[in-house]
Formats: sequence, structure tokens, C-alpha cells
Amino acid sequence: MEIELRFFATFREAVGQKERVETFDDGASVGDVLASLESTYDGLEGQLLEDGDDGVAIRPQLSVLKNGRDVTHMAGVETELKDGDRLSVFPPVAGG
Amino acid sequence: MSDLRLDATQLDRYSRHVIMDEIGPEGQQRLLESSVLVVGAGGLGSPAIQYLAAAGIGRLGIVDDDVVERSNLQRQIVHGDDDVGRPKVESAADYVGALNPDIDVEPHETRLTADNVATLVDDYDVVLDASDNFGTRYLLNDHCVLTGTPLSHGAIYRFEGQVTTFTNERGTESDTDSPCYRCLFPEAPEPGTVPDCATTGVLGVLPGTVGCIQATEVVKYVLGKGELLEGRLLMYDAMDMTFETVDVLSNPSCPVCGDEPAIESVEDVSYEGSCEISAD
Repeated sequence: MEIELRFFATFREAVGQKERVETFDDGASVGDVLASLESTYDGLEGQLLEDGDDGVAIRPQLSVLKNGRDVTHMAGVETELKDGDRLSVFPPVAGG
Repeated sequence: MSDLRLDATQLDRYSRHVIMDEIGPEGQQRLLESSVLVVGAGGLGSPAIQYLAAAGIGRLGIVDDDVVERSNLQRQIVHGDDDVGRPKVESAADYVGALNPDIDVEPHETRLTADNVATLVDDYDVVLDASDNFGTRYLLNDHCVLTGTPLSHGAIYRFEGQVTTFTNERGTESDTDSPCYRCLFPEAPEPGTVPDCATTGVLGVLPGTVGCIQATEVVKYVLGKGELLEGRLLMYDAMDMTFETVDVLSNPSCPVCGDEPAIESVEDVSYEGSCEISAD
């Protein structure tokens, strides 16, 4: 299945692109996609996922949106994806 | 209209407000009786201070501990070339004084800390976060959540901006509780992982756009009119010239506004690092 990936601020620089479409196995979860991104881009290694008390979790320093909604309010890393979904990854920024 | 207190000069100055049904003389009076604290007199703070002062926000506090540098002038438009070397709060206060004599401007030449945040913030109706570091942002968020103070959030990075409004109204009859900054980002990035404007550069006009949106939100909040960016984060990309909003929902496990908050006081947090809860 194809997933549209969107990156903001520092993540945009780590990937070198604002948007890209990548193919993942059917049934891939948000966690699967984030793990794949960490292994693909050096600048993302260790930046998206962490080992929490209840297993792998999204790090508390970023937000991940599936089709514009924060996956924290879905099933977190276990959130299921389907062909055509849009996943946005963005960090807080502090400049003023 | 017997309680109308706008004098003839004010009716003239604010005539484009007063003529609109959404504001009128009552709304203008409300603006003049309101107080706003702007934290940071830099890129975001400059346009916010200018438009809040022009709009007639009656009492305007400005917090900043920096002095004006020449490299600021590409975007920090409340300061001029002659202000280089002066405290930013003094320069900004002079600008406000020259623009609108109705405004009581209160410069606070200090850095916001856990020790002084209550003294500085609690005297104002609304806070506008125009700071430039995560420590101040998380400190302001936590204090405003704990005290129920409305907070306008704006932040910039190179060509991108993020802006939202936290009313911090909780426990009311509204269907959904107000989210906060930690609902989106429970912790700050580790120090040094997100470079600042001095390192990455920033498009000079970018904070102008974002700061103006923040000022717009504060004026709307004071007037009680319009739809705020409550529960929505506006993301602005100057290069693509796109604005998109994403929903921001209250997070029941949020460390400061969730169901079982770990942060009950700003003393619980170390704002020097990732703004996580102190181990002890």
C-alpha cells in the first residue's frame, strides 16, 4: 500500500523533502512506518520511537498525525494504516 | 450608552473599530480595559506589540531580558537602528508610547523563571507567548494551565510557523476540555537538537505573519467574538504559502492538564532541559 508521508521543520531537513510517497506492506501500522523511516534516514534514527513502559511508543517530543488527527487519540504506534493514508510527522519549534 | 467612556479623541482613533457591529464602542471599551502580557519583544513580539497597542489594549506588559542587536532588525520591527544596545523592553515601550498614548505599557526587563512567573503573569488577562526557547514556552504553558490563564502560542522555524490558542478553560460546561501545549508535545526536544534562529536563519517576514495572527487571536479573545484557534494548530509554510490546521485534542494522559496530572506546580519541572517532570 502507498502512504503519503509529510515532514515538518527539523524532520523535513533530516529527510530532505517535504513530502514523499512510500510503499509499505499491507497491514503496516504507524509504528512500522516510523521504524522504517528511522532506519532509512540517518537524521531520524532514534528521533521518532522509544522503548516505553508498555513497549515501543512515539517519543514525547513529536506529534504524528494520520490524515490530520493525532494518533495519540487512536491506537498510538498500533494505529492501522490503509492505502492512501497521509502521515504527518512534526516537532515543536521554539523560534520567536 | 450612558456608561460610554470613550472620549472624542478615542472615538476618532478607534472609529474603524467602533463602526463595526462586532466591536462597537462597547467592544472598544473592553479592549481598553483589558491587559495582555507579551513574553518576548523579538520577531513574534514586535508585530504583536504593535497591533495590540494600536488596537487599544489598555495595559500592555512586555517581558524580555535581551538588548537589541543589529542582527535583530531584519525581523524585530518594533526596534530601530538607534536602539541597538538598548534593552528590548525599553525600545518596545518607547514605540508603544509614540504610537498610542492610551496604553499603559509595563516593561519587565527580566527573564521569565519558575520563581517570577506568577508575579509577572497573574496580573494580566491574557498571555501572548512570543518567546524563543522551549524552557520559557513550557513554563508559560504549565503556569497558564494551572492558573486557567488564556495563552496565545506562536513559534517559528526558518520558513515555517505554528500558532494556536489555549483558552485554558476547564471544568466548565463545555463539551470538551481545552487542550494545552503538552497535549501536543508532552516534552521539549533535548537541548541542542532543535537549532535556533541564529543557527538556521529565519525569513524576516515570517514572524510578522505569525505574530499578527497571535495578536488577532488575542483581540478576538478579549472581544469574545469569532472562532479562536482553540483545539486547532495552524501550520504556516511561507515557501509554499500554505496554511493548514490540524486538530488538537485534550490528551487524558497529558502530564499537566490530563486526568491524573504529574505536574501540580511549576516547581515540579526542570525547565532547563526537556521540561520533563523532575525525578525527585
